[in-house]
Amino acid sequence: MRFDTVIIGGGLAGLTAGIALQREGKSTAIISTGQNALHFFSGSFESVVEKNERMIDFFAKAGIPLHYAPGVRLMPLGSFRPSALCLEDTDIFPTAKVGSKVLIVNFMGYHDFFSTFLAEGLEKEGMQCRIRLLDLPELEPLQRSPGGMRSVQMARILDPIWEKFVQEVRLLIKDEDIVVIPQVFGLKDPSTPGLIREDLPVRAIFAGTLPPSVPGIRTQQLLGRNYERLGGTYLKGDHALRALTKDNRIIGVSTKNLDRHYLKADTFILASGSYFSKGLRSNPFEITEPVFDLDVNYSPERSDWYNPKFAADQPYMHYGVKTDENLHAIKGGTVIQNLYAIGSVMGVSHPRFGFGAGLAIRSAFHVTDQIVQESKV
Amino acid sequence: MKIQEYTQSKYNFEECMKCTVCTAYCPVLQVNPLFPGPKQCGPDEERLRLKDPYFFNTALKYCMNCKRCEVACPSGVNVAALIQSARIHYDHTPPKVRDRILASTDFMGKMARPVAPVVNAVTGLGITKTVLDATLKIDHRRSFPRYSGSSFTAWLKRHRKEQAAFEEQAAYFHGCYVNYNHPQLGKDLVKVLNALGVGVQLLEKEKCCGIAMIVNGMSARAARNASVNIASIRKAVDKGLKVLSTSSTCVLTLRDEYPELLGIDNDSVREDILLATRFIFERMEAGATLHFRPDYHRRIAYHVPCHLEKLGWGVFSERLLRRIPGVEFTLLDSNCCGIAGTYGFKKENYEAAQNIGAPLFDQIRSVDPEVVACDCETCKWQIEMSTGYPVMNPISILAEALE
Amino acid sequence: MIKNTHTMNPNEFDVIIIGGGITGAGTQRDCAMRGLKTLLIERSDIATGATGRNHGLLHSGARYAVNDSESAEECIRENRILRKIAAHCIDETGGLFITLPEDDPEYQNTFVESCLRAGIEAEVIDPELARRWEPTVNQNLTGAVKVPDASIDPFRLCAANMLDAKLRGGQVRLHTTVTGFIKEGDTVRGVHTRNAQTGQVNDFYARIIVNAGGVWAQEIAAMAGAQISLYPAKGSLLIFAHRVNKHVINRCRKPSNADILVPGDTVCIVGTTSSRIPLDACDEVAVTPEEVNLLITEGSKLAPVLSSTRILRAYAGVRPLISTDKDDSGRNITRGFVILDHESRDGIKGLVSICGGKLTTYRLMAEKTTDLLCRKLGNEKKCMTAVSPLPGSEEGSYEKVAQKIWETPSTAQKAAAFRMGTRAFRMRSSDRWNDALVCKCEEVSVGEINGAIERMDASTLTDLRRRTRLGMGPCQGEFCACRAAGLLAASHGCIDREREDLNQFLQERWKGNFPIGWGDTLREAEYTQWVYKFVLGL
Repeated sequence: MRFDTVIIGGGLAGLTAGIALQREGKSTAIISTGQNALHFFSGSFESVVEKNERMIDFFAKAGIPLHYAPGVRLMPLGSFRPSALCLEDTDIFPTAKVGSKVLIVNFMGYHDFFSTFLAEGLEKEGMQCRIRLLDLPELEPLQRSPGGMRSVQMARILDPIWEKFVQEVRLLIKDEDIVVIPQVFGLKDPSTPGLIREDLPVRAIFAGTLPPSVPGIRTQQLLGRNYERLGGTYLKGDHALRALTKDNRIIGVSTKNLDRHYLKADTFILASGSYFSKGLRSNPFEITEPVFDLDVNYSPERSDWYNPKFAADQPYMHYGVKTDENLHAIKGGTVIQNLYAIGSVMGVSHPRFGFGAGLAIRSAFHVTDQIVQESKV
Repeated sequence: MKIQEYTQSKYNFEECMKCTVCTAYCPVLQVNPLFPGPKQCGPDEERLRLKDPYFFNTALKYCMNCKRCEVACPSGVNVAALIQSARIHYDHTPPKVRDRILASTDFMGKMARPVAPVVNAVTGLGITKTVLDATLKIDHRRSFPRYSGSSFTAWLKRHRKEQAAFEEQAAYFHGCYVNYNHPQLGKDLVKVLNALGVGVQLLEKEKCCGIAMIVNGMSARAARNASVNIASIRKAVDKGLKVLSTSSTCVLTLRDEYPELLGIDNDSVREDILLATRFIFERMEAGATLHFRPDYHRRIAYHVPCHLEKLGWGVFSERLLRRIPGVEFTLLDSNCCGIAGTYGFKKENYEAAQNIGAPLFDQIRSVDPEVVACDCETCKWQIEMSTGYPVMNPISILAEALE
Repeated sequence: MIKNTHTMNPNEFDVIIIGGGITGAGTQRDCAMRGLKTLLIERSDIATGATGRNHGLLHSGARYAVNDSESAEECIRENRILRKIAAHCIDETGGLFITLPEDDPEYQNTFVESCLRAGIEAEVIDPELARRWEPTVNQNLTGAVKVPDASIDPFRLCAANMLDAKLRGGQVRLHTTVTGFIKEGDTVRGVHTRNAQTGQVNDFYARIIVNAGGVWAQEIAAMAGAQISLYPAKGSLLIFAHRVNKHVINRCRKPSNADILVPGDTVCIVGTTSSRIPLDACDEVAVTPEEVNLLITEGSKLAPVLSSTRILRAYAGVRPLISTDKDDSGRNITRGFVILDHESRDGIKGLVSICGGKLTTYRLMAEKTTDLLCRKLGNEKKCMTAVSPLPGSEEGSYEKVAQKIWETPSTAQKAAAFRMGTRAFRMRSSDRWNDALVCKCEEVSVGEINGAIERMDASTLTDLRRRTRLGMGPCQGEFCACRAAGLLAASHGCIDREREDLNQFLQERWKGNFPIGWGDTLREAEYTQWVYKFVLGL
């Protein structure tokens, strides 16, 4: 099967590249080993501090409205972190003093939302907090199931009854000016959190839960759908095995599902992520990139890989495939002209592209711009 | 091998990162709180089962083996295989009469064929459905697949000579559905392959692929069928033939469930077992052409069945359909229809099956196509029953569009 | 200052036991059963020293039969007793001693003869049978002997002893350090203590104080002016992520490195190494890369699959052996124990130290120690610990227990019965909140966590781990640590402390992960970093 570009990896970086190229009229395929880190997405585009109109426009076209408001956001364990660009249902505030009196609402039997930690964090910032638990009968089947009370399952039940939820919360509010709600709304329909906000008499903040992240899954599904509607070939649950090379160029890639049927293309993008998604592999002796066997930047001394302090920055997370300044991948010291690397397969952060969502999207744009440019020449 | 150069475990269960992604994609978990979910039933409890089989959980029976967890898993864990294998090894409760009947698709087909009109009339009757519901717990709201009066194999045998005349040949694993319920699909395949200059022949022996037996607790019988099928397939492959199927589930079973769940070695023939659309696509990529009717027009919504999604081959059917001039193509979102073979026929699963399928049905209604395309016969029954839209196999659409 | 200890002063006891390892807990139980008023003081949590840092092997004694027949005989006697009184802590796996082609083939005869002499049922079996029983065992084995080894959970055992003591009026103070002794002339009258969590300072008095400090006993004795000479021998072990074997598998040769593989609950453990370390290094022992390599290489000779099985953790413990002569590995030092009466030894009254010994013989050590205490205190009650089951062990098999409680138990309920024995009866509630799982790898429910907080003195996440297996599975506490932190915070109400506890728990998990930080362990570690640093914002 032939494409203009084959992308290895269907996370934020790979999907961004795929969508960008499809929108430019290119034919692409994404080989995606299962789902990805968007499922743990906090809702904030880490390391994007500027008002990046291109990103905002890019996501808006995929049906994902973003909002830009440099400030801080409330983390699930009660701390505040700087943030600037977010999904619509993630709140950013100018300062950590978000109100004066706060009502934190949780559901009976839901242990993945940390209301006491949130309360303590908010109280440190000078707010008064009250925690109340809702016991909605609709959630009872989940409560009776040992693993039932989890974000996604709850969202499936709560989304259709959000109006009832709002009524119940109204009854709980006394003199509070802020209500904090777990992020278990808006799995399918991104508008649900907005509707809840509008209907509540005071300002609502949706605070994160333990993964999977409801807004993250929604984002993944919208991006994936957008890619497929643009005519992209999304090979889900497959993974790239080997590359076919000729004269230092990649000709094709074989996958687990397609046996010897090679996916051929003019250019290839490696967006396979880091260790978690097996973009990088490690054993006691080495760290490798398994598909193309690219050069990886790491210490040969295993003891250098770790900092014994969990909280410290971990050296192994900074290891990744080597690239030239235009993100062409390098193998055996030689640049491969039609293979690019984007996202966290290059390491957790990049001096030019940042980290997290910023790294994924910026490096994807950087590479797709080049591919589009080259094809015009 | 150096120490710890790589690690291995049964169905890769140790590669599970406990990320919970699979639980977000399990259709059963969405509708049935009694099911503990793929992660817990699979990799989590495997460790307990290895400690003592006593920790086997009977709730594993709610898994319908759709394999969406495996497609979603970022770590390559064969979650569904782990669950089905645990059921095979640890669940010793004998299958119910109802499950035996539902699983015996070939036996039922053989019995019904000579009296097909009667069977079709009877199974369509409200009273029959009520009786089946009460006695066998086969849900009365379900419509039954109709049986055909003459089998596909009989038809192909009558056309053996003209098929043998083609220089190139392919073997066809028709499956129970084509043989007993819908021989027309088989005839459509013959038409398309002939147009490509390929003649069609039967395998020396063919038994039901056995998937329904595997999930209904009859893996020993399934293994017997598998041995027969693989032996026949091997003979065909030795003659240089590809073995084609028009059912995504049959292909998945022959290729992956045999070695993974039944321990039947198919290594030497696995890559020669293909979904017909893949075979056709690859032929056309190699230069073969099909001539389509210039006046053909169809608005098609294509649903990728779960097992085809697991195979990763939906792209072949999709691309073939898109190639037909005059086809307005919509790819439906990835969703399970809820039937999962025999799962949705069982009274206790009816509600769950319909709830699982609801998002798919809703989307079909909003797209409002002339026909839904789909490579799976049980999806076809479910979608037709639940939406009223006709469902056709991509092969039949190709045949219909041919000059 | 000195008061009559028979008054009701709450700070006065018959016996104070220093050390919450299995020796201390066992001694407290024995004392409590004989009617003594006891207090156990532990500077950290239960089973934090050698008790919780070993194989979890209930020795049949076979391992010592050739070289140390006295220990071997003690082991087999205690092995039989513990199977009766501590059923819910023991998994009756049986053990095999395998001979490999490179091992001395004559050793098996010597071994079997020595076992039989010590009263250990050692039965030579057909190597083919051994291969059938254990499909993962080294298939090249040339001989196999079956012995009554078993697997034992030291945390559960320690907690059950302490719980029984508490049910009989004993008191337990965890996270409490003994900062000094209260002495009057040559008599020890009490201890100064400080609570590590609250900083609160307390004095406690007793007629006799027992030093059961394990490898720290030397330090504790020194505070009272008494001398003990210990030989700390470090042993490193690896935990593999699931059970690959059914029996305990030993090498049939002179004890050496990494020659025991024990199936323990959902995992299996290979070990150990043995090397002498300085006494002041006992608090922070680390597993070296060389030890990890050695453990995998040698372990793979027992079961080749270990060279490609996911490893969960590396950890090390320090054996508190009794110093005798020069022996750099400590392999030849007796596993026997000694009770030191500092009155006759050093002229210090009111202090007894119990040193050496093994997990398997803890009850005997406790009995002998308590006998001495009773002689000194004029108590004539007989020891009943050999016949009286521990709380949780009254009913035998966990299958029976689970059946009795739930009729058709779920897997999580079965797991609870396995861990808690009859104590799981408390879990039978109609409360729909209790069955929710906190830790999904090990299937630990909200009810079990709250039970450990309320009734088993768990005040940190690590305490909870020892009592319930929370966070002991493959993900090493990814989500469950957070969920449990929420429950702990609800019990003590201090969020700052709980946030710090969460940090410490993750640090402690990482400490055991990075020495084997590659493959799936590194993937998991990376994921944990994301979740806590980027998603939750700890």
